[in-house]
Amino acid sequence: MSEQRAGWTQGLYHAVLWLIALVFFAPVFWIILAAFKSSGDLVSPEFRFFFTPTLDNIGKVLAAPNFNIRLTMSFVMSIGSVLLAILIAFLAAYSFSRYRPTGTNFIMFLLLSVRMVPAPAVLVPLFLMYSALGWTGSFLGMLFFYVMFSIPFSLWILKGFLDGVSLRFDETALVNGGSRLHAIFRVVLPQVKPGLIAAAIFNLIFVWNEFIFNYILGGQTTTMIPYIFATGLKQGGATDWTFIAALSTIYVLPPIVMIYLFQKYLLVGMTFGTVRGEV
Amino acid sequence: MAQIGTFPDHPALKGIAPPRGRLAGLRSIEGSRAFPALLLAPIMIFFLVWNVVPLVWLLGVSFYKYKVTSSREPAYVGFDNFTDLWRSSEIWGLIGRTLTFMVTSVGLATLLGVLLGLLFWGSGKMPGRRLALTLLFTPMVLPPIAVGTFYRLIYEPSFGVVNHFTQAVIGRRFDFLGDKNLAFGATIAVDVWMWTPFMILMTLAALGSVPKAELEAAEVDRLPWLKRLWYIVLPHGKFILMLGILLRTIDAFKTTDLPYLMTNGGPGNLTEFVGLSLYRTGFEAFQMGDASALAVVTLLVAIAFTSIYLYVLNYRETRAQLT
Repeated sequence: MSEQRAGWTQGLYHAVLWLIALVFFAPVFWIILAAFKSSGDLVSPEFRFFFTPTLDNIGKVLAAPNFNIRLTMSFVMSIGSVLLAILIAFLAAYSFSRYRPTGTNFIMFLLLSVRMVPAPAVLVPLFLMYSALGWTGSFLGMLFFYVMFSIPFSLWILKGFLDGVSLRFDETALVNGGSRLHAIFRVVLPQVKPGLIAAAIFNLIFVWNEFIFNYILGGQTTTMIPYIFATGLKQGGATDWTFIAALSTIYVLPPIVMIYLFQKYLLVGMTFGTVRGEV
Repeated sequence: MAQIGTFPDHPALKGIAPPRGRLAGLRSIEGSRAFPALLLAPIMIFFLVWNVVPLVWLLGVSFYKYKVTSSREPAYVGFDNFTDLWRSSEIWGLIGRTLTFMVTSVGLATLLGVLLGLLFWGSGKMPGRRLALTLLFTPMVLPPIAVGTFYRLIYEPSFGVVNHFTQAVIGRRFDFLGDKNLAFGATIAVDVWMWTPFMILMTLAALGSVPKAELEAAEVDRLPWLKRLWYIVLPHGKFILMLGILLRTIDAFKTTDLPYLMTNGGPGNLTEFVGLSLYRTGFEAFQMGDASALAVVTLLVAIAFTSIYLYVLNYRETRAQLT
C-alpha cells in the first residue's frame, strides 16, 4: 500500500514476504539438497539435518546410458523448434495484424483451442498418423511437432504486440523507398522485440517441460530428459531416489534460471500474450 | 513527402534505397494481393498437417472399434463408442473426479493467490525482490513430470520429509499417495503449491491495472481498506483476475503429467483425471476407438473453455477502449 511504513514495520513486512517466497521454494530446495546426499542419508528413517555432501549422484546421472543424447535432444528440440515457430508465427502475425484477412479471428481461435486440450486427446490421432506415415521416432517428426506445439502461443503473443505497433512504421519505411520485407524485418520486427523474447522464453520452457508427446512419439534418438523419469520409475525394481533427485535438479534448473533472467516477461509469457505488463 | 507523419531520422530507415533489378521483381510480389497469403503459407501448412489432418483422423477413428495391438481390422460401429461412453459406469466417476479436482484446486489456488497477491502489492522496495519473486514463481514453471516424481520422494512413507514432520508433531506416518483417504488431497496439495504462484502473479497484474489516480483519491478521502478493495480495486482488477481463473481452470482440466508418475491415477482410479484416463485408454489398453470418442468430447469442452476465455478477453478490451 502507499502509506509510508516506518523502519521496523517495513523490515518485518519484507521479512514476511521473503519467508513466503522461501516456503514456496522449500520443496525444490529439499530436492536439490537430496541430490547431494548419499543414499544412506536420504533414505534414513530419522531426519538428518546435517550430512556430508557428495557429487556422486550428479556423476551417476551424467554417466547414465543415453543421458547425453537425452540432454542434447532437450536442448536441440526446444531451441530448434522455438526458433522455427517464432519465424513462422511472426510472418503469420504480421499478415493477420496488417492485412486482417477474412477468418483471422477464427484461425487464431482454433490454434489457441488446440493448445487448451488435454495432451492425450491430441496425442491419440497424432500417434495414429505418425504410425501410419512412419514418422514415429524420426527427428523431423518430433521437431516439427514441437514447432506446431509452439506456434499458437507465439502467434498470440506476437499478434498482440504487432497490433500495438502503429501502421506509421510500415508506411514510413515504404514511403521512404524500402521494400515491404525491409519494413517487416528491419522496421517492424525491432519494435516487437519484447514480444519475441517473451514468446521464445516461454515456449522454450514449455517444450523443455513437455513429456507425454515425446514419450509416445519419440524414439531412441529423439526422446528427451523426461523419458528417463518414466523409464526409471515405471520398469519395476527399487527406485533409486538419489538418482531421481539429481536428475530432477539438473532438469529443473534451466526454467528457474530463465525466469530469473527474464522476470519482466513472466506475465506476458504465462498468459500467452493476452495480458501485458510487468510485476 | 517524407514529412507527412513520418520520422525520416529513425535508425531503422538507414540504408533504404529504391529497388533495382531483381529486387524490383520482388517488389511486385510484395505488392500483389497474394502477399498476405504468402506470409501465411508456412503456418497454414503446419496447421493443416499437424492440426486439421489429425482432427479428421480423430473424428474418423471415433466411429470405429479399433484396438491397435489386435490383428483384427478396425470395425465401423457408428456412434457406438459415444453411446458406450455415455452409458459406461466409469464416465460419471471420471467427470466427477475431474470436476472436483478442478474446482478444489483452482478454488484454493485462487483464494491463496489473491490473499498473498494483496500482501505482495507493496513489495516494490523489497530487498532482493527479483530473487525472491523467482523463488516464489518457481513452482509454476517446473516440469510437471519432475514435480510428480520428486513429490513421491517428499511424500515417501518411511523417509519422506513430510513424514518426518508428522512423526515429530503427531507421532504418526502416513502413506499419502497410497492411502485412499489421503491420495486425492495430497495430489490437490501439490497442484495448489504449483499454481498458487500463478494466481499471485495474476493478482499482482490485476492490482497493477488499477489507475493510480483513483487509488490516490481514495487515499485523500481516507476510504477504509475494504471499501477501497470493493469500489476501486475490484471493478478494475476483476477482468485480469477472471482471465487468470479461466486459464487456471483450463490448465487444471489438462492435468496429465503430474499424476502420471506421482500416483499413476491410483490408488484404484481416485486420482485419474480426464487426461490420464484418455492416455490409459489409448496407450495402455490400446482402445483407439474409445479413446477417440472421449477425445472428441474433451475437445468440445476445451473449445467451450477457450470461447469463454476469449469472450472475457474481448469484453475487457472493448470496455478498455470505451473508457
